[in-house]
Amino acid sequence: MEIKPIFLSLKQNKFMAILMIIQIAFTMGVLSSSVLVATETLQEWGKPSGIPHEDIVRITPEFFDENIDVGQALVRDIERVKNMPNVINVAPSNAVPFTAENMINVYLSNEEDAQEYKTVVFQSDENIFDVLQLSLIEGKQFTASDIIKGAEGTTPENASQVMISQDMATALFADKSPLGQTIWLAKNADPVQVVGIYSNFMTGERLNGRGKSYQSIIRPQVKWSQSRQPNYLIRVEPGKGTAMMEDIINVFYQERGRYINSSELLKRTQKRMYDGRGSRALTMLVISVVLLIITGLGMTGLTAFQVTQKRKQIGTRRALGAKKRDVMRYFLTENSIITFIGLLIGILVTLSITFELSEQASQNFMNVSVLLLTGLVMWVVNILAVWFPAKRAANIEPAIVTRSA
Amino acid sequence: MFNYNFQLAIKSLKDRPSLTFLTILTIAIGLGFYTTVKTMSYQGGQVPLAHKSKNIFLVQMDNREITADEVNHQSRLVDTTYKDTLNLMAMELPGVKQTFNWYTYGILNVEDKNINPVRTTAGVTSSAFFTMFEPPFLYGNGWDLTTEKSGEGVIVISKLMNDQLFGGKDSVGENIRIGTKVLKVVGVLDTWHLTRKFYDRGFRSASPDNFFIPHTFAMDNELPRLAGFDCWAADADIARSFRLENTQRLINSECAWVTFWAEIPDEQIENYQQQLISYIEEQKTFGRFPREILTYVTNLNDQFSYINGRNDFMNVFSIISSLFFAVCLLNAVGILLAKFMRRTKEVSLRRALGAKKKTIIAQHIIEVMIIGLLGGLLGIVVAHFGLQGMMNIQIYASDYTRRLEDMQPLFALDFTMITKAFATGIVCTLIASIYPIWRLCNTPPASQLKSQ
Amino acid sequence: MLRMENVSKIYRTELVETHALRKVDLHIKSGEFVSVTGPSGSGKTTFLNLAGALETFEEGDYFLDGENVKGLSDDKLSEIRNEKIGFIFQSFNLLPDLPLFDNVDVPLRYRGMSAKERKERIEHALETVGLASRMKHLPTQLSGGQQQRVAIARAIAGSPKFLLADEPTGNLDSLMAQQVMELLEDINSKGTTIIMVTHDDQLARRAHRNIQIFDGQVSDIEKAVANDVIRSA
Repeated sequence: MEIKPIFLSLKQNKFMAILMIIQIAFTMGVLSSSVLVATETLQEWGKPSGIPHEDIVRITPEFFDENIDVGQALVRDIERVKNMPNVINVAPSNAVPFTAENMINVYLSNEEDAQEYKTVVFQSDENIFDVLQLSLIEGKQFTASDIIKGAEGTTPENASQVMISQDMATALFADKSPLGQTIWLAKNADPVQVVGIYSNFMTGERLNGRGKSYQSIIRPQVKWSQSRQPNYLIRVEPGKGTAMMEDIINVFYQERGRYINSSELLKRTQKRMYDGRGSRALTMLVISVVLLIITGLGMTGLTAFQVTQKRKQIGTRRALGAKKRDVMRYFLTENSIITFIGLLIGILVTLSITFELSEQASQNFMNVSVLLLTGLVMWVVNILAVWFPAKRAANIEPAIVTRSA
Repeated sequence: MFNYNFQLAIKSLKDRPSLTFLTILTIAIGLGFYTTVKTMSYQGGQVPLAHKSKNIFLVQMDNREITADEVNHQSRLVDTTYKDTLNLMAMELPGVKQTFNWYTYGILNVEDKNINPVRTTAGVTSSAFFTMFEPPFLYGNGWDLTTEKSGEGVIVISKLMNDQLFGGKDSVGENIRIGTKVLKVVGVLDTWHLTRKFYDRGFRSASPDNFFIPHTFAMDNELPRLAGFDCWAADADIARSFRLENTQRLINSECAWVTFWAEIPDEQIENYQQQLISYIEEQKTFGRFPREILTYVTNLNDQFSYINGRNDFMNVFSIISSLFFAVCLLNAVGILLAKFMRRTKEVSLRRALGAKKKTIIAQHIIEVMIIGLLGGLLGIVVAHFGLQGMMNIQIYASDYTRRLEDMQPLFALDFTMITKAFATGIVCTLIASIYPIWRLCNTPPASQLKSQ
Repeated sequence: MLRMENVSKIYRTELVETHALRKVDLHIKSGEFVSVTGPSGSGKTTFLNLAGALETFEEGDYFLDGENVKGLSDDKLSEIRNEKIGFIFQSFNLLPDLPLFDNVDVPLRYRGMSAKERKERIEHALETVGLASRMKHLPTQLSGGQQQRVAIARAIAGSPKFLLADEPTGNLDSLMAQQVMELLEDINSKGTTIIMVTHDDQLARRAHRNIQIFDGQVSDIEKAVANDVIRSA
């Protein structure tokens, strides 16, 4: 390849070359820092929920009137909601998908040094499977007779059987069959028996952030106290959720002396789960893309300018035997050399930005493959940016050389 | 001469309108984004109570056990114990005001069955809170010391609560309930703009609390205490329970959980610190404060500069926006160069006809100034939309829990920022044009003519 | 060596058709030194462009070294220019960014020669024109005559079958013009065919044969005798 003459030519046009190199370096710095931060923040982002979250309404009530019998209210609530049109099913649950943050450790033995497994326990009744549309993978599914109901402190205190999610089963037992196995829901305490496995669903951010999004346990019990009442998960006819929201809230307010703390479609709960980091990372990405476009246009402009300046030279090369593709290749190679140098400096810029960032956030943002991929994207964008002016250069008539200056 | 140069500049701007427009657009986008970020960090970093922020101090004393970890920054030291809070409040120094607070939450409701209750967080504090932190009142006032001491149930509510529970009317004197406990409204706050909610030491960019009640009422009625309790080993096990119960044990404990503030006039600052040390020395005789004496009396300015410096997101954004602007300017240099170099022939002819270098420079500087001016104007428009966009993103990211009226001041382009943006636009465009103009005016006269 | 049969070139714009060349018949033998003269606008430049395969034409046939150039692809034309023709222009058309060595290197690169062969040829060509010692210099550091000699070196480095010179002395003073002419004659004497377009009758007369173009038509005047007279003088 004709790299040496291109270098010689660049040496004569230092300013232009430096201008382009700095532009590319800065753009690379901004783009790759954003992409690195975004990849790091957006990991475990937007994963499938495993449930029809657009058609499930979540209601979280809170009693402030101490004279109300929460257990009675619970029965009345469920009765009322079930009688509403378009409601398919309702289940009380201590936790809500996408926001189940009450992470606990479970163990496979009651020894002191037993290994910890992170999970979230959903306490609910037999309807949870229908509401969340979970499918039974193995073993048995809880029925009404398995459910333990009562105020906290009344016996029986807790259910002795649980079902676990597929991912939980894999994490705990790998290839072994989990059915009939015992797990401890606390260190040295609370042993329960696994009786069934259900399909995965998203728990919440704390497990998600650890890459264990789908590890959950369902315990067939509904417990309450004055300060703690279950949430309600209500599945409605597809698409009806938004319109029904107000009616559902009113139904719950029929029980006075309490406040509806939270009332929303799980779709919104899901949005909130990813929101904060998502919108920041996406903002940075959008800005980077705008910058990439500006830089691309800049490259097109500068190259077009150079082509105009060098018409005669290009014609001379054509006259001396350069084929059209040789001319194209000349500009693309020249640009690639500039891009390459720019990218090298850009990587240094990125390193210093991400180093600073990693120090501050005590989180490692560096990811070599993402960095290289970003470099590749920049290179492709630059090639595209130069393609059109280069094409124009290739179409310069060789006969231009015989015209007088 | 100026007129002639001006005409030439206008003509040359019109000459290649697409290039001119591209230059202006590049500068505008770069400047717009740069100004957006600068405005966000400028507005977000503004210290509340600017007129006396240097006299508002967070007071901290190290009452931890001897075994506790070394602390080398104010932000790492624990809050104040309830005992010390009461003792310090009793200390009287001329011109010094003191207050303290912690968090609670409650379900606000009214008799009217048609109005749904609202659950919200609240500040538990003392009467001086309102005179020290100066929240704006729509109706009524804060409570006075006598009321506070009596333990009477009085409450100051936010505009939002007043709108939701009382339909926005003057509700001073009305009854309101926290759960089932009845309180009397003594004041309604107007929208209180705080760049950061500083008074709870959290410095989060969140809206201020929705109601405020006296600490006496909160303790008497055992309202929940949303605080982190830094306890000695003896109480560490039950620390969590202090949120809802064990009030008496908490009062007697060495657990630190109250945020303590003082407003100290300049001349009293030294004295105040001295008083703190004498207080600690006195307490040492009762076996408290086992560690070497350590106090932090930090004013709002210092706390804000520490917090702003640690705003990773804003810092990254600042770097990125500067680089972004730099790329846009480099782009402008390229386009200007391209635009000007097309003109070498004309310039060398003018030079041959007797135009001085100075004249050529003047002509092009006028042209560049016009570009910078238009770029600056458009950049401010871009910044305006950029800020609106950023605001909406943040409202979206807060899941609509923060309202437009709370957010607007944080994203407002004020006169200072507009002036700065404008000046930046023109100066940077001029800098960007140095090389192209230099190249152009160094065209030797008639150099381009000989091959004609 | 070079044969044009019935070659016509028409430039079309939306409004007019210009017949730049009409039915040209021409035969130039190997080793000849032919001058082409004619007033401005006569079609000289068009003739040059066609002869140098810089432009295509619609009518007639043009055989260059036995190969019909008509209708060849752009790539093929590039190859022909590169291998068979050496160009010398009035305004030299050196690449200003490249030192002499690399300027001469340009056509050889497109030929795809090995680095070693290129180096030998470049050095030899620059020696021929007497500029071997200055091969690291940039064109702007040279006088006009020297620049044209570099252009000649570039034209002959690839050992083309013929040289196409377009007013080679047009931008030079008479002393330098003399040197350049001598160089061309020297090259011709070693067997390279030369076609030189000029408006200078005196120069034209130094060629073996003079072709005149007038209003797009070629008249071929046998000048061999006259030339011999001038040479011996």
